[in-house]
Amino acid sequence: MRNTIVSLISIILGLIAGGLLMLFIGASPVEGYTYLFQGALKNISRIGDTLATATPLIFTGLAVAFAFRTGLFNIGAAGQMLIGGLAATAVALTMDLSRPILILVMVLAGIIGGSLWAFIPGLLKARFNVHEVVSTIMMNWIAYWVVYYIVPANFKGGTETESKLISETASLKMPLLTEMFQGSYINMGIFFAVLAVIVIAFIINKTTLGYELKAVGFNRHAAEYAGMRVNRNIILSMLISGALAGLGGVALYTGNASSMQIGILPSQGYDGIAVALLGANSPIGVFFAAVLFGILYSGTGFMNAMIEIPPELANTIIAIIIYFAATSVLIQRVFNKFRNTKTNSNDVAGPVGKKGES
Amino acid sequence: MKKRKFGLAMSLILAAGTLLGACGGGDKDTGKDNGKDAVKIGMVTDAGTIDDKSFNQGTWEGILLAKEELGIQEKYLKPAGTTEAEYLKEMGNLYDAGYKFIVTPGFKFETAVFKAQDKYKDAKFVILDGNPHSGDFKPVVKDNTVAIFFAEQESGFLAGVATAVELKEGEAGFIGGMEIPAPQKFNWGFQQGIKYANENFGTNVTIKAENVIYQGTFSDSAAGGQIAAQMYDRGVDVIFTAAGGVGVGAINEAKTRAKAGDKIWIVGVDVDQYEDGKYDGDKSVILTSAMKKLDVVTLDMIKRELDGKFPGGETLTFDAKNDGIGLPEENPNLSDETTAKVKEALDKIKSGDIKVAAEQGSLFK
Repeated sequence: MRNTIVSLISIILGLIAGGLLMLFIGASPVEGYTYLFQGALKNISRIGDTLATATPLIFTGLAVAFAFRTGLFNIGAAGQMLIGGLAATAVALTMDLSRPILILVMVLAGIIGGSLWAFIPGLLKARFNVHEVVSTIMMNWIAYWVVYYIVPANFKGGTETESKLISETASLKMPLLTEMFQGSYINMGIFFAVLAVIVIAFIINKTTLGYELKAVGFNRHAAEYAGMRVNRNIILSMLISGALAGLGGVALYTGNASSMQIGILPSQGYDGIAVALLGANSPIGVFFAAVLFGILYSGTGFMNAMIEIPPELANTIIAIIIYFAATSVLIQRVFNKFRNTKTNSNDVAGPVGKKGES
Repeated sequence: MKKRKFGLAMSLILAAGTLLGACGGGDKDTGKDNGKDAVKIGMVTDAGTIDDKSFNQGTWEGILLAKEELGIQEKYLKPAGTTEAEYLKEMGNLYDAGYKFIVTPGFKFETAVFKAQDKYKDAKFVILDGNPHSGDFKPVVKDNTVAIFFAEQESGFLAGVATAVELKEGEAGFIGGMEIPAPQKFNWGFQQGIKYANENFGTNVTIKAENVIYQGTFSDSAAGGQIAAQMYDRGVDVIFTAAGGVGVGAINEAKTRAKAGDKIWIVGVDVDQYEDGKYDGDKSVILTSAMKKLDVVTLDMIKRELDGKFPGGETLTFDAKNDGIGLPEENPNLSDETTAKVKEALDKIKSGDIKVAAEQGSLFK
């Protein structure tokens, strides 16, 4: 409950800051925000696009949040997405199976690809205490160049920079859904995302595994003292986190898009960090945070087309809203301060707060 | 203490907000100078920014020319990514906002335009460097769309001739962005141009395989600077860049060296990059630029649309014959002799005496 309030305050602060910027550049914030939300939600097709935009963000947000809970900062969601997407695309382009089985295999490939990419930093962290921030970032670039090499070499489409288009059988897009949303690119990825939210919420809150992971996150040494296998839990947490990001890649490359492009690190990987922060690292929170981001990203273009501002500024407005939204940690602090004004200000922000400091 | 700082910061922000907000509000109306019934021309940008010294910029400058000459209302949107869905989304945004003439620069728009031309039947589309298709590369240009190509190889050829004639002897290099058709054709044309000059004008400029490099992106200007540095260290005198932002890095490296007294050059691409290569006042490292006249062509398409002569359904190629490519009018770094020789080569391309191949053949990369 308190987390929700904190998040809501950060969103409002973000909107105010964005509105101030609009004033700076001579546009009316009311008008701007009206168009922003119209652009995202005006008709059924735009709503579909918004949900589809949010889908990969739900996955990456979950991935980052899950690792956060174990005290790990997974910045490598982008690379894990790439490899997950690459694995799924490879399956889609090479295997000739019936649709349900093909999609199942693609999803599994995405999970394996993503978790493999997160396994290495997890192992390095557990065995040699290599900081995961560094190693996951490095893995991002390895993934970037792996895709850069593999796609043109093995799955080259009509142009050098893109893979072949996957067939309709392999696409996560469903004709029924597309029709329902009047030509939107929404796809079954959103169902997978909702499912993932439920499963992860269950793991974190209701299982021994989740309890152990959280314990490691709160205090590694205490967890070790209590007889938990810290190293195993670190690796496991990274594996699950990577699998989620990999699924995000599947949703992005075989759902929202239908080919892989080289030379691009998906921005959703980094946005996942902001989504996780805003969602206070809870699966449900992540879901709503991702949908909000989806609205912002979908609405920008329309806002931009309707009011007289250059696109760079429109993007800046969105960035500012996100920036403020991601400062929920700060607001949590202020919140705490007000509550214990007279007692000493020992902070109890939990693992997130600690992470924010380091 | 902390609280006081925070309070100060907040009040500053608020004060600034009210002040600037107030002056911002004033000029709001002047922004829409072209009135409500001006024709609305929209553009969706490709990967990269609007001032990329290349595709986006060239196209956008054409639209701005049209604004000056024809009083249209202009707007560009920058998609969040480069997938078909994101391109389509921005086209839809333009369309919904009343921009029913949409220019898209780059082959990446091919499948998006293919879908858009059916979805928005009362809108017009111009795609530069590409042909709309459904993903199978069978071009389908509907009546509300024009596909435009450029003969980059001829532009590269002219730059090659200019380089060889101006330098007489030396070593040339090439930096490309991605290994995709447009930079490739520039490269192959450039090599053919140098060869032609060596054979016909008695010059002796060489180009080695190791000095023909595709960096792999159009954005990594740091890498462009490094590659250029390596080439210059290997004794290269002039580098032709067809690489967007990577080329900008190479130009900066060249400027640093030129300031230190080195005699090195860059050949620019797409637009006249002379201004970007300026150092020490009025000197520039840009020998010349192999241009694709994106601005002229874009303006031309808008003009034709306003005259009611939009060439819908056609695929047009702009080359030397219709002045769609070429070197800049003014080349302060080229001698009169070079300009004359380039003119000679240009006339021969126009008359068909010189045929510039758009394929690799025996050329490097």
